[in-house]
Amino acid sequence: MAPADPNNPTLQRDEASIKVPSKDLKKKDNKKDEDLSDEDLALKQQLELYVERVQDSDPGVQKLALESMRQEIRTSTSSMTSVPKPLKFLRPHYGTLKTYYETMKHSDLKNYLADILSVLALTMSAEGEQESLKYRLLGSEGDIGSWGHEYVRNLAGEIAQEYTKRQGEDASIDDLMDLVQQIVAFHMKHNAEPEAVDLLMEVEDLELLIEHVDSTNFKRTCLYLTSSAKYLPGPDDTLVLDIAYMIYLKFEEYPRALQIALFLDNLGYVRQLFTSCDDMLQKRQFCYILARHGVAFVLDEDMVADDSERELMQDIINNMKLTEGYLTLARDIEVMEPKSPEDIYKAHLLDGRASAGASVDSARQNLAATFVNAFVNAGFSQDKLMTVPSEASSGASSGNWLFKNKEHGKASAAASLGMILLWDVDSGLAQIDKYFHSNDNHVIAGALLGVGIVNCSIKNDCDPALALLGDYLDREDPSIRIGAIMGLGVAYAGTQNEVVRHKLIPILGDAKAPLDVIAFTAISLGLVYVGSCNEDIAQAIIFALMERSESELGEPLTRFLPLGLGLLYLGKQESVDATAEVSKTFNEKIKKYCDMTLLSCAYAGTGNVLKVQNLLGHCAEHLDKGENHQGPAVLGIAMVAMAEELGLEMAIRSLEHLLQYGEQNIRRAVPLALGLLCVSNPKINVMDTLSRLSHDQDTEAAMAAIVSLGLIGAGTNNARIAGMLRNLSSYYYKDASLLFCVRIAQGLVHLGKGLLTLNPYHSDRFLLSPMALAGIVTLLHACLDMKAIILGKYHYVLYFLVLAMQPRMLMTVDENLKPFPVPVRVGQAVDVVGQAGRPKTITGFQTHSTPVLLAAGDRAELATEKYIPVSPILEGFVILKENPEYKDDH
Amino acid sequence: MPTVSVKWQKELFPAVEIDTSLPPYVFKCQLYDLTGVPPERQKIMVKGGLLKDDADWSTLGVKEGQKLMMMGTADEIVKAPEKGPVFVEDLPEQEQAVAVGYSAGLINLGNTCYMNSTVQCLHSVPELKSALVEYQNSGRSSDLDHLLAMATRDLFSELDKNVKPVNPMQFWMVLRKKYPQFGQLHNGSFMQQDAEECWTQLLYTLSQSLKSSVSRENHDKVKELFGIELVSRVHCQESGEESSESESIYALKCHISQEVNHLHEGLKNGLKSELEKASLALGRSAIYLKESRINGLPRYLTIQFVRFFWKRESNQKAKILRKVDYPLELDVYDLCSDDLKQKLVAPRQFLRDEEGKKVGLKSSKKSSDSKDNDVTMTDAAGSSSSTGESSASTSQEGVPSDKETHLTGVYDLVAVLTHKGRSADSGHYVAWVKQESGKWIQYDDDNPIPQREEDITRLSGGGDWHMAYICMYKARAIQM
Repeated sequence: MAPADPNNPTLQRDEASIKVPSKDLKKKDNKKDEDLSDEDLALKQQLELYVERVQDSDPGVQKLALESMRQEIRTSTSSMTSVPKPLKFLRPHYGTLKTYYETMKHSDLKNYLADILSVLALTMSAEGEQESLKYRLLGSEGDIGSWGHEYVRNLAGEIAQEYTKRQGEDASIDDLMDLVQQIVAFHMKHNAEPEAVDLLMEVEDLELLIEHVDSTNFKRTCLYLTSSAKYLPGPDDTLVLDIAYMIYLKFEEYPRALQIALFLDNLGYVRQLFTSCDDMLQKRQFCYILARHGVAFVLDEDMVADDSERELMQDIINNMKLTEGYLTLARDIEVMEPKSPEDIYKAHLLDGRASAGASVDSARQNLAATFVNAFVNAGFSQDKLMTVPSEASSGASSGNWLFKNKEHGKASAAASLGMILLWDVDSGLAQIDKYFHSNDNHVIAGALLGVGIVNCSIKNDCDPALALLGDYLDREDPSIRIGAIMGLGVAYAGTQNEVVRHKLIPILGDAKAPLDVIAFTAISLGLVYVGSCNEDIAQAIIFALMERSESELGEPLTRFLPLGLGLLYLGKQESVDATAEVSKTFNEKIKKYCDMTLLSCAYAGTGNVLKVQNLLGHCAEHLDKGENHQGPAVLGIAMVAMAEELGLEMAIRSLEHLLQYGEQNIRRAVPLALGLLCVSNPKINVMDTLSRLSHDQDTEAAMAAIVSLGLIGAGTNNARIAGMLRNLSSYYYKDASLLFCVRIAQGLVHLGKGLLTLNPYHSDRFLLSPMALAGIVTLLHACLDMKAIILGKYHYVLYFLVLAMQPRMLMTVDENLKPFPVPVRVGQAVDVVGQAGRPKTITGFQTHSTPVLLAAGDRAELATEKYIPVSPILEGFVILKENPEYKDDH
Repeated sequence: MPTVSVKWQKELFPAVEIDTSLPPYVFKCQLYDLTGVPPERQKIMVKGGLLKDDADWSTLGVKEGQKLMMMGTADEIVKAPEKGPVFVEDLPEQEQAVAVGYSAGLINLGNTCYMNSTVQCLHSVPELKSALVEYQNSGRSSDLDHLLAMATRDLFSELDKNVKPVNPMQFWMVLRKKYPQFGQLHNGSFMQQDAEECWTQLLYTLSQSLKSSVSRENHDKVKELFGIELVSRVHCQESGEESSESESIYALKCHISQEVNHLHEGLKNGLKSELEKASLALGRSAIYLKESRINGLPRYLTIQFVRFFWKRESNQKAKILRKVDYPLELDVYDLCSDDLKQKLVAPRQFLRDEEGKKVGLKSSKKSSDSKDNDVTMTDAAGSSSSTGESSASTSQEGVPSDKETHLTGVYDLVAVLTHKGRSADSGHYVAWVKQESGKWIQYDDDNPIPQREEDITRLSGGGDWHMAYICMYKARAIQM
């Protein structure tokens, strides 16, 4: 938009601007003389004369005096660094004029005087009197801007006060609203969108905004709206976002509108966007955004008319192209070469403490290697342990590594194949197939889980996961059942698939099913119906919880039942209330745990400060023996506060306090909460805290800290964390359990060789993928009892992280969706909310050629004018089109 | 008859006809022709379920042009290897020790670190271990010497068997019984003792009991392993009298004075001493100068740093903190007597050639004589036990008369016993032992900690860190 300075004299003040030179002269004189200069003295006398004349009986004299006074005031209000002279000199006469005003008869002159009084009230009015507003309403309804910016701002403030007052008295507000109209129009024209929005929010009529935005200021307006929504209580936040959506829609900024629709989780809006947008490229871009967010969305003929085009777009939404893009990125960055766990451990960098005597396999260390291998080579379709071609069966064939794991370890090993072939359904299924024919139950269980992992966030028309896993749900062997159940949960997370629901719900009611099977069923249902508030499932889980015996409620795995319930309400705030009420009737043993879990899930990602305080309150209590609800409460603080940067920083500080004063079960959960707050975002202060905790006396706290170090560094290849973990591996070389945790963390840091992220937030940290958050939260809840779950025989819960795994890339594609390298600037994102003009959005940037990796807090912008990105947010897949206005310089 | 397209891995078979009158098995056979996957291994996904061999096509509602997906491979099915891998976690503790690569630590029973570190150092001598294993109960069950030898044997075998720290209670009881000074109490608890004393006494006892256990009188296993033969020239400057005597000791002493910066200088100092004795020629006592030279080399050369001296004013053994460097590889050639030097010439030349060859230098002409080029220094360790058994004469002659093995006067550091603290009866003793794998382990009582070789030579003193008190070197022998 055209640069405009708010202080510039605008059309209304043209006549005033003529007098400017003489005023300047006046100022200079003023500096010379401590007392009043001659000019000022003259002005003062002049004004006093006006005041006298105003009270004159002759209307003609009165009018002239008022006109002159008005002239003087208007000239001076153009600059507001100090109280303008005319106002200053008129101050002693404010009272006089007010009294005289009262005595005046109704006439134009009276209105004139009211206008002047209104301006004088700007500096004179007592606090809370709102005299400026009062006289404004009494005066002539002239152009509001003619009295200057400061006057308008003051008026806006008084309107807000008056509005609340009148709301209380139930009085009419029509006269105010007229004024609001004027003020908003003025603000919107003068680059003061935040003020306009603030005023409208105060008077609760944001709809007005839509009329006043134009193509030059709607972006800034919406930016202000969306970022202020984070700090608003419900339901105002939704309202604000609705307005922003409508404004974007009005100006056909569809990708932005889509973001808001997704934030509101309003698929109706998404549909509306598809029908109202008629640009195919934009629609394709919508599909990429939907795919990244992980929404199950089906296009129909109304949205996209053309069959083949629709099929193509549906493929994008179903993430069928994800593996292709990811591998293109990997090839471009040249990291296709598979890495072995030893390449990650880098034991040679440690002095003298290299793992002694590798002559005998350690089942635990091999299991760790299995996970490290799976995490590091995730999605690359090749590795050095599991996918070695069978021709090389001489020594290191894939079968052999599988059998280097013990019992349930084999399940994780078989499933790791799914992780390595992540997103590549076609070849993934083919490679996993061989394990289905094994006679070892653990291997079959792993194969089932592997199928689920391969299909994670991919939707295929043939539903291979459902077809393959469905038959195994009723098997006798619990490990096979769990494999199939968890596989379904991972494969269909967020899809709300009816068939899956019908297959899984009966298991919850199966009296003969062992606890672990039921626990995993609850989680899987929670994942598939994440954030759906589905009543049927909630009922089923509640019944399952009620049927548990007293001793079963004490089992570590029981925690998955309340969590499954909580996931159904993830981020749905008040919708949880009914269920939370029911949970109060549960057995004492699980009641509070359930309460905390539900609360934290329902308000996850909302940044609701009251809920954070509530949870902190629970952590401040000193517990009776046997209660364990403080763990989920601590995690809850992180889940709620992770929504925006400020709340996040405050939560980190609060957690620091809990660490110092909290009881043992709180101290164990704090590192996990820190891990969630900074997942894939290694902040130095958090890194230091975790590093300190990783040497904690309490082994459980140390283990949690180590795993969290992995989480905050997940997919970053952060050298500092890698070094810390390497040293920890030598520090804990004797303790198999801690060493296992260190290995897992090492694997996480090099997740996907540094191409992946676990951060559930995407699109400029605006959108939260519920599926991703659910995956991380499930793992963290499992980590609350590390010894029983991850170090026990349920280590495959680590694979829940797959739900959050996404490439942290910017891949630009041309109009045919083929990768298309262009130069981009990548730098630290700058907050530009409420800034006028066109501020720089990134700082400290470097120029790269796409595809590029984006770290946490990074933002990219095109470094060429030749192309225009279809989406304003340069993350993930972005379609480029040629700029028709581009002219080559050469 | 609808035609469908079948997707299999990355391939797509566009037009496959289905004869809906025949069971799906027939369809699978069609696919077998196309893909080579046997029907029983095929998984065909239809409507969220698998296609059963006996299903009815009509109920499945396959539409014209529908896309089916088939999963399955003709690959070999993964079979568990016949012999599964053995995991450390399943092993008995004894075998875990092998896997870990070093033996267990010893629990501190209250100021017994001097004993623990001594035991750990001696435990690293395989020949001593094997001698103890052979040691039989010869009917003197009540003899304390014998009991201590038995206790040592048992403790050594415990150490080899375990991963977790071993409690040396039995050994300690016997040691206290044999040497009551180790049982001294101070304020109700046992006192810290001098590790060197413990070392010497223990070796002496073992030498006594091992000697007597074997029928041949002269066979002294301990002496054979640790004994150093010295010839001394005792010379009186006043009278010009000169005599020569020979003796056998278990440890060389490294005297630390102002000039001594290195082990070698200290050893030279230690071999010179002045003594006062009655002179026949003068008819009164006179100062004699005693100069000793090594005449017979042991397999294990023990060196004691004389760090402690009795300080009368404070009434305790004070410590000299001076830094005295010691090498990982020690050559004692110039401390040897002329006789011995001559005997060492040939083996040393041989050793040099071997080493030269090893680093890829041009081999000297002599090396062509030896056919067994594969003889390396590490072999010496394996062969040493065989030579040890061979004859009693070895130790007397210094250089073993055995046709095969010759000592070279070159020694490698294998164990260091360090002391940390300001006096011998206080502070902390720790053993640093080189394992057979070449790795160094610091045995801090019950806690074995792997260490780097570079750090071992940093224990040379000059501060308040652990400093070497006793060093044990192993002879580098060659076979000729």
